[in-house]
Amino acid sequence: MGPAFSAGLGRSGLTLAPGQSSPASRERRGKQIYVQGTSASGKEIFAYLGESSLEVPGSTMPCANCHGLDGLGKPEGGVNPTNLTWEALTKPYGVTHASGRRHPPYTERGLELAITRGTDPAGNTLLNVMPRYSMSNEDLADLVAYLRLLGKDRDPGISENKLVIGAICPTKGSLAEMGQAVKAVTTAYFEELNSQGGIYNRQVEMKFIDTGDTPAATRVKLERFIKEEQVFALTAAFIAGAEKEIVPLLGQQEVPLIGPLTLYPQIDLPLNRQVFYLLSGVDGQARAMIHFAVLKPELRTQHFAVVLPQSEVNLEVLGAIADQLRKDGLSAAKAFDYAAGHFDAAEIIGRLRQSSPDVVVFLGAGEDARTFLAEADKSRWYPTVFLAGGSGGREIFDAPIGFNGKLFFSFPTAPADQSAAGLKEFHALAEKYKLPARHLAAQISALSAAKILGEGLKRVGKDLSREKLIQVLEGLYEYPTGLTPAITYGPNRRIGALGAYIVNVDLKEKQFVPASGWINLN
Amino acid sequence: MRSKGIVVLLVLGFVPAAIGVGDSNLPSARGQQKASPRARPQPARYACPMHPEVTSKKHGNCPKCGMALRLVEDSAKASAAPPIEIAVNEAGDSFAFSSSRIPDLKVYDQNGNQLSFYRDLIKNKTVAINFIFTTCTTICPPLTATFRRVQQDLQKASLNVQLISVSVDPSTDTPERLRDFAARFKAGPGWTFVTGDQTEIESLLQALGVAVANRNDHTPMILVGNDVTGYWTRTYGLSPPTTLLKVITEAAHHK
Repeated sequence: MGPAFSAGLGRSGLTLAPGQSSPASRERRGKQIYVQGTSASGKEIFAYLGESSLEVPGSTMPCANCHGLDGLGKPEGGVNPTNLTWEALTKPYGVTHASGRRHPPYTERGLELAITRGTDPAGNTLLNVMPRYSMSNEDLADLVAYLRLLGKDRDPGISENKLVIGAICPTKGSLAEMGQAVKAVTTAYFEELNSQGGIYNRQVEMKFIDTGDTPAATRVKLERFIKEEQVFALTAAFIAGAEKEIVPLLGQQEVPLIGPLTLYPQIDLPLNRQVFYLLSGVDGQARAMIHFAVLKPELRTQHFAVVLPQSEVNLEVLGAIADQLRKDGLSAAKAFDYAAGHFDAAEIIGRLRQSSPDVVVFLGAGEDARTFLAEADKSRWYPTVFLAGGSGGREIFDAPIGFNGKLFFSFPTAPADQSAAGLKEFHALAEKYKLPARHLAAQISALSAAKILGEGLKRVGKDLSREKLIQVLEGLYEYPTGLTPAITYGPNRRIGALGAYIVNVDLKEKQFVPASGWINLN
Repeated sequence: MRSKGIVVLLVLGFVPAAIGVGDSNLPSARGQQKASPRARPQPARYACPMHPEVTSKKHGNCPKCGMALRLVEDSAKASAAPPIEIAVNEAGDSFAFSSSRIPDLKVYDQNGNQLSFYRDLIKNKTVAINFIFTTCTTICPPLTATFRRVQQDLQKASLNVQLISVSVDPSTDTPERLRDFAARFKAGPGWTFVTGDQTEIESLLQALGVAVANRNDHTPMILVGNDVTGYWTRTYGLSPPTTLLKVITEAAHHK
């Protein structure tokens, strides 16, 4: 018995010493150990396998891995983890396992010995797949306190007849009006759902917070909001510009978010399991453009160049473009970056023309794109230009006529995705709840997100948990929102409609002309 | 050995009984492997009409349902992925396996490189193969942690052994996902995580004798072999690392 196994020794009972925290927070800390294998105190937890000294961090083998979030055990490959619910562990007449192993009921002390020494109350050695853990006495007491509760605790925001859902909607600044439109349509959808009886007799209660002045401030606000309002999940949150702050926070707090409003989804591995995006961001749309260009022989595309403002998210887009080129069997694209807000079109075009690309993928703002096209026109240079991520509105129709037929846009969804039934539902909501007539695209996005969340909640059933919601959403296949392309998620997939449409800009008729059908990137 | 009582079976559903710590080959089975060249003409084959996995080289009855076996026209497909054969004698089951059973299928490693499974990972090497999937939480973390320790111990013993972890869930386990999984367990060089197209991996698992209908039922088995001498054995993957080390060392030193 090495010192590593000594944590359970010398303890007597579970009395609270003065100054120790309340049982509720003790159980919350215990849950962290059970689920994640880490201690809120920051003290280390190690797992030891078998009789050997094979030591791994507790986070590699937390209890929930095998025994499940509900404590019932997840059998795999002939290993049947014990049911850890308190009733099962403490049956007054003892426990007989399928293997024939028998022992008297567990006590708290008995559990401490099982966790730290791998023995049951009869002194039997537990299977060597059950690691022996070393952790501080406080952590061990927290864990055992949580085991009393295991299987009976509910995730935040769930009660017998109420479910709390949150959203982040700006109320100030240039996005205020859009924020209010999103708030209105989300509220309307769940009110309508509530009027039909709610979800398994639970009325959905919507809570909203404003964005902060900076991404960091939004994060702080959101963290407090999650804690104080006890939201079960978030929908249609405005996280644009704050992706790097918000997405990791949701991962830590394990709060699902469906349909965030952003052009820069965070989908790198290890995957943040909590966040489900609706549509492709700039990266996915750029991939679709590359794929489109490769498939279209008349573009004769071999050499791609990418023009982008320097930013972390644009580097991710550049990575996606490089990956797609590799998948399509082409060599890497040349990248030309510039400091955001300091676009020198003449200088960039000078450098670009030296490498004579066939296609330029332009990731800059709409204003920069127009400057770029005007400058290229001066020197009578008209390459094919892909404008990713909706970097321009109707102003693009004023581009130099020399670019007629040479400009392509990507759209993550198209009006054709909106079915008659989907539009009817939206119009009925709009009329009944007096929804604003503006920001229809944002409203349709928010409504789609709410419908996906509603569908997920219905599929989970009455016995709701965040983990079950995530698993159900991962199983969603070709779910028709009626307002977007069909939504599919999976264990590796967090973009519901993975692909884009490519349209060509007709500068004479001043209209968009479809250049492709749906380009599926799956 | 290949007399009346021999029934040739897919290992499906047969493996659990055959697993044992240090479970090793019958000497006769080993001798037979040495004699078998990698590509050989397929003799006449009989299969059960109800259980196509049950095949034999002779007339007879299916051990599962008792129906008479029928002659099978060997298609190109059948010879491309020959079913793994298990010699069963009157005394019970035993384990017969040889390098010739390992198909040279197109697979991918955790870095996205395309490999030929036999040529790049097995040929002329001592190997230990386990079977995992990254969303498996009960047995795969201990299996993989054990493999990591075995890898460290093999390095200390200066034994050059190729470790292979084959995903039994290739549609979820992309190379990126395997790379992330490998990094979590600090897998060192010389340890390849394998995935690929569903069909290719399925025939690989069939050939290696670990195919299961439900991936949660996949067995914590480790296949250990020395391709140079043709020695193959299996062991229980959740045994202590010292036991695994012993089995692998025996394979590496097999003459």
